[in-house]
Amino acid sequence: MKQLFTYTTKHFFLLLFSFVMIFPFLWMVVSALKTKEEIFQFPPTLWPETPMWHNFIDAWQLAPFGQYIFNSAYTAIAIVAIQVVNSALIAYAFTHFRFKGKNLLFAIVMLTYMLPAAATYVPSYVILADWNLLDTHKGLIFSNAVSVLGIFLFRQAFMQIPKELVEAAKMDGASHWRILWKVIYPLSKPTFLTFVLISFVQNYNSYLWPTLILNSEEKQLVTTGLRQFFIQEGAYGIQWPLIMAASSFAVIPLLLLFAFAQKWFISGISDQGLKG
Amino acid sequence: MNTLVTEIRAIITKEKGARRRIKFPLTLWLFILPALTPLTIFWIYPMLYSLYISFTDWDYMSTEYNFVGFSNYADLMTNPLFYGVLWNTLYFSVGVVVPSVFGGLLLAMLVVKKQKGMGFYRTLIFSPWVTPAVAVSIVWSWIYEPQIGLANWLLTAVNLPALEWTSSTTWAMPAVIIVTIWKGLGWCMIFYLNALKKVPESLYEAAALDGASSWQKFLNVTLPLISPTTLFLVIITAVDALQAYDQIQVLTQGGPAGSTRTILYMYYQSAFEQFNMGQATAVATVLVILTASLSLLQFMFSRKWVHYE
Repeated sequence: MKQLFTYTTKHFFLLLFSFVMIFPFLWMVVSALKTKEEIFQFPPTLWPETPMWHNFIDAWQLAPFGQYIFNSAYTAIAIVAIQVVNSALIAYAFTHFRFKGKNLLFAIVMLTYMLPAAATYVPSYVILADWNLLDTHKGLIFSNAVSVLGIFLFRQAFMQIPKELVEAAKMDGASHWRILWKVIYPLSKPTFLTFVLISFVQNYNSYLWPTLILNSEEKQLVTTGLRQFFIQEGAYGIQWPLIMAASSFAVIPLLLLFAFAQKWFISGISDQGLKG
Repeated sequence: MNTLVTEIRAIITKEKGARRRIKFPLTLWLFILPALTPLTIFWIYPMLYSLYISFTDWDYMSTEYNFVGFSNYADLMTNPLFYGVLWNTLYFSVGVVVPSVFGGLLLAMLVVKKQKGMGFYRTLIFSPWVTPAVAVSIVWSWIYEPQIGLANWLLTAVNLPALEWTSSTTWAMPAVIIVTIWKGLGWCMIFYLNALKKVPESLYEAAALDGASSWQKFLNVTLPLISPTTLFLVIITAVDALQAYDQIQVLTQGGPAGSTRTILYMYYQSAFEQFNMGQATAVATVLVILTASLSLLQFMFSRKWVHYE
């Protein structure tokens, strides 16, 4: 009896808490469906009288959100692809090559891992300006071309692969490139997947750095575009339903991605013991 | 005898392999350069260059600048505004770290057992982490709306006074902190889930034999065994808190009256609003020192948490 009571309380608490956690998302969608008058009612209505599905279309047409989402997705995919390849390469060098200064090099990489990215913004901005890469996606991609987290994760994963396997592949005359992608990659797929997901989410969501370097409207990422829409659309107050509809455009793709890949996010992150 | 032979053979192949590897430095470069080039251009060089700029009075617009020694740092140290910023940073960090870590532990303990629905709770609790801070902060700014926002509706519903939230110097910081905790709680929970799963069942059984209550078990078995995770989480959430920007920009822009201006926000304002690059990079140096000290702690204790795995 006592057990049943604890069990019920626990579920009740968890259900309530989970609801509180996702409530802002629900509130976002519900508010997006309200009319301008309805959204200013106090106390707020929990469900609009007539859902204004049209708000989503209106918001979509007021700013190029399709373009924004495309920009975010494509730059994030390009960045992740580059990061995966070069992190895997250098991690392979760290684990399967012997060379002078290896430890020193790894120490430098580790040191970079500990430093805040923000501290590089001023000089990186100047570099991009010098190379005429400001306001280009190329500049955004290139300035994110390396992930210290990736190097770190892959090195960790590669170290756990039995040396004999690599030696055997070498005996068969496989090149290092082949060994990396035909022997090591299949064995460390979970790490690759975790890294791809996390890096994609981080790059898709990144805001400060893209805001600094991208100016033209058509190059904006969804985060920056959304923030601009937020300021323009009656700055803090008039077009709240449209602002909530626009926020949904930015948030929902990621929630969908998460819904499909949640198992990988959750097990991957905890297994690797990595940091955000 | 047999094992000795295989061992010797292994050493020989290793040696051979090693020699062969050292013979091909070009391949090595091809493996290292793709990562090393951007790492040097966008991480290592900027760090050093940022330090250099912090000793100048460069304003970004002009090509000329003067070397001013430590005066940017001296200005910071004598600027009461900067101490306000440091205080806000501390307030924000502690305000985020403590509830996130404790809350994460509590939630993890509730959902750790393999029971129906636990995966569902985990997913919901973790979901805010994957969404963009900018977008969810916009949603929260609507919730915090002083006249008709949901937050004040809830407060008045339980007979509490409505708050000005982001436009009040007292409540702006808690408002930003709440959003940050909401977003990061699931992250802490996941690390604790993993740590709790690794506590050997036998230890609980032994404690039960000694007649320990659940509270005693928690205090004497669970807590010490997961302490490495606690330390790890305290440090990484603090490092993240030092770099909070997006939610502050959307919710308060550092205001009102500078009450939510943290160190990264000050850096942004000096660099990209006032173009006072000397001061900005000096702030960046302070940020680097703070982050590096925390990371060093993490590094020093890392042996401890590896040990338990």
